Amino acid sequence: MPFTEILALCMIGAFFIFLLAGIPVAVCLGVTGLVFGYVGFGPMLFSLLPARIFGVITNYTLLALPLFIFMGIMLEKSRIAEDLLEVIGLAMGGLRGGMALAIILVGVLMGAASGVVGATVVTVGLIALGPIINRGYDAGVACGVICASGTLGQIIPPSLVLILLADIMGESVGTLFAAALFPGLLLAGLFVAYVLLLGVIRPDAVPAIPAEERALYTGRDLAVKLVKVVLPPIALIVLVLGSIIGGVAAPTEAASMGALGSIVLALLAGRLSYPVLRDAVRGAFITSAMVFLILIFAQPFGLAFRGLGGERLVQDAFAVVPGGLNGQIFFLMLLLFVLGFFLEWIEISYIALPLFLPIFMQSGVDMAWIAILVAVNLQTSFLTPPFGWALFFLKGVAPPSVRTGDIYRGVIPFIGLQLVGLALVFSFPGLATWLPGAIGW
Amino acid sequence: MIPVIEKIANGASGIVRHIGRIAAWSGLALVLLVAFNVLSRYLFSYGTVALQEAEWHLMAVGALFGMSYGLNQGAEVRVDILYARMPARLQALINLISALLMCAVALIITWLCIAYVQSSYSINEGSPDPGGLGHRYVLKAAMPVAFAVLAIQAVAMTGESLLALLRPRPGTSSS
Amino acid sequence: QTTFNWKMTNAYGPGSPFYVEGPGSPTDFCKKVTAMSDGRINIQHFAAGELIPALEGFDAVRSGAVEMNAANAYFWAGKLPAAQYFTTVPFGLNFQGMNAWLYHAGGMELWDELYAPLGLKALPMGNTGVQMTGWFRKPIESVADFKDLKMRIPGLAGKVYAALGVDVKLLPGGEIFPALERGVIDAAEFVGPYQDRRLGLQNAAKYYYTTGWHEPSNVTELLINQAKWDSLPADLQAIVQTAAMACNLESHTWCEANNAAALKDLVENSGVIANVLPDEVVAELKTVTDKVLAEGAAADPATKKVHDAFMAFKAEHQSWAAISEKPYHNLPG
Ligand code: NA
Ligand code: NA
Repeated sequence: MPFTEILALCMIGAFFIFLLAGIPVAVCLGVTGLVFGYVGFGPMLFSLLPARIFGVITNYTLLALPLFIFMGIMLEKSRIAEDLLEVIGLAMGGLRGGMALAIILVGVLMGAASGVVGATVVTVGLIALGPIINRGYDAGVACGVICASGTLGQIIPPSLVLILLADIMGESVGTLFAAALFPGLLLAGLFVAYVLLLGVIRPDAVPAIPAEERALYTGRDLAVKLVKVVLPPIALIVLVLGSIIGGVAAPTEAASMGALGSIVLALLAGRLSYPVLRDAVRGAFITSAMVFLILIFAQPFGLAFRGLGGERLVQDAFAVVPGGLNGQIFFLMLLLFVLGFFLEWIEISYIALPLFLPIFMQSGVDMAWIAILVAVNLQTSFLTPPFGWALFFLKGVAPPSVRTGDIYRGVIPFIGLQLVGLALVFSFPGLATWLPGAIGW
Repeated sequence: MIPVIEKIANGASGIVRHIGRIAAWSGLALVLLVAFNVLSRYLFSYGTVALQEAEWHLMAVGALFGMSYGLNQGAEVRVDILYARMPARLQALINLISALLMCAVALIITWLCIAYVQSSYSINEGSPDPGGLGHRYVLKAAMPVAFAVLAIQAVAMTGESLLALLRPRPGTSSS
Repeated sequence: QTTFNWKMTNAYGPGSPFYVEGPGSPTDFCKKVTAMSDGRINIQHFAAGELIPALEGFDAVRSGAVEMNAANAYFWAGKLPAAQYFTTVPFGLNFQGMNAWLYHAGGMELWDELYAPLGLKALPMGNTGVQMTGWFRKPIESVADFKDLKMRIPGLAGKVYAALGVDVKLLPGGEIFPALERGVIDAAEFVGPYQDRRLGLQNAAKYYYTTGWHEPSNVTELLINQAKWDSLPADLQAIVQTAAMACNLESHTWCEANNAAALKDLVENSGVIANVLPDEVVAELKTVTDKVLAEGAAADPATKKVHDAFMAFKAEHQSWAAISEKPYHNLPG
């Protein structure tokens, strides 16, 4: 094994050690990347670092991130979101897990409006995590539901992952959007089933709102409250989605409709004062910054991994895979899953996929199906500890009482559900291939 | 010794806070600008290349200056499985090391960015699209400035963690 | 004997046919060079985003951090406005004319002169040939149909359309489909039938206009760091030059071979209506193009020099084409 590949392995090892020692994620990424990259090939390659950073901060598709975060914070600061989940919980009556189901629904809707994972996780986390923990939900379950629902946006079209995969795999963006719809809904369905099951086997983890409290409201009261409290935030999501479907805004721009709408809502509710606006502006700035800080500091790490020939580690491993198309698909899935522990998904796509493409293309297998398997797998990688992006982003907005351990514990069942979803798409390719064929995309 | 460190840490933190509070409004400007571009195009078929480019210019400035302000306001993310169980002084030591490393990385990137800006400035780089925003090196120059501000924030954090280490333990002195 | 291990970045993403993969593509160029030099020069290829973002290759080669970059020179319009003439010019030269200018009529010399002060050197390494006007949700029957039309169209052509009342929208490649499909934009320009079909644009708009007045051909640029180039022995320089020239031919013929089948498939199986822009519209586009190009030349001395040389050769080439190619195309098939 060449020296540089050994260095690449050492870099990954050092990163994990730093991470576990409690050093902030950004510092771990930046320091290991710069040090091991420098040892491996000297200072020259790092003159490319500014170009990579400039690429991140000017990446048009990331625009949705600050916009959605602004919407979420505005809803939070103007207290519009405060009652939302409680009222949904009330409306769900004695059904245990009602608020968790509401979160999954919001995840699906926001996923249909955006393709940026950080935006959805952070927004739902801001709105929902505090309230449902206050309602007695197990912190782990709460975090798991939010992270998993937040990452649904990556498979439910439109999605950044699908756009990139379309480019790499030579499929049309439209085909992949159509192919991803049922697998995305399937995953959401699995999450719903799991929450309902939890309601039966661990009722205290997902409590319904107590009967006494529900008794305070008549059906009529509740209906009025529902309209007053639930309608505005739902209207925002409809505004975002509607502006995409109605041809008003491109997917990335659509987030601005939600953000502007949140200001208008606060104004209509009579809650838009200068302090509220100022706090929302600062809060949104800090939360966006947290995401960008990690994305920016991931650049030295990604550059060093590339420069050290980390992709050759993957090639070497691939050379020893036993034959058969299914064997290769299985290896690809395993590889993506493992790389997902320590690399960002864009990096994974660029490293792993080009290796496999020629093989799959020659075998004549439906590339849209492969792309969806990859997308579901990448989505899982957002959740895998310790380096799932969704986990970091949720941690960034979680109340201090929520520990990283709660988040890790909470996402494990959802990773299992993702794998079930992956197995289903693998066993029944029609889940992905039927819709594009049926609508002629 | 302690008062000097305190003064430096507070001064550095204050600089970052002031810059951040101003830069934060770029987020609201971004919301209004993108919404304006969407609505004016839909309603009046009005749009300019410059205003569209201004969208990601605003995002870039926000992302760059947000880094230091975010850390200033405690928005760093870490894996706290072991960290949360550590004694306070060990936590302070880890914070000290992290802050020093952050400072080093920020300074290295600042230095790397200077050549990048010079390369752009030397050819008076503008937008490749006609009607786009000119003087691209001004946007690029925000990079070294923002990383220098990040280094200042790291100095503040170094000072704060040093103070936590140098000060008598709260358990022994305050009761 | 010294072995040269070089890096090449690319402005296009992994897997893109023509721009990254396939006969005459940049990855093919790297393979050819290795084979021809018996491994004395090995070029490791990085698609956009693998090492650096798509449009950062110019600075990367200039700094010497990578030795080569594959792109189109008009991406550098913000850095060197004159560079656009080495990719394509609206109503400019087709594949034959462009190569005649570059190889035999002073084009390469002007390109070298433009890049030399920055320590750069360029070679043509590919050509798409004539492109398509683009995809429209509604038919274009007169210039009036451009009024308030929302179109994704980058570069000089965007400026020409804007002068005719088009609302120019900038969008990354991946968002063209959803935006066109939902009517956020009414029209979009991308490349040609083979590449456009990959994006699925036929599912978003049905009117597919030709011809590519805005890009009558499109040169792939191989950008090389001059100091690194000077360090190559003469035989390896010759190998790089010859491989680039081979790719220039092979990539173009590959496009010619594939676009025909792709367009046929689009028309027969996706209900696409392929049409030529009305003469009146083309005439108006030409008038505005002349004005826009003249403005650009007046604003920058380097651009003026290249513009004048380009236009002088174009007049000469067209006088020959008018009695050779043109009548031939009009012969009964
Ligand atoms: Na989505
Ligand atoms: Na992961």
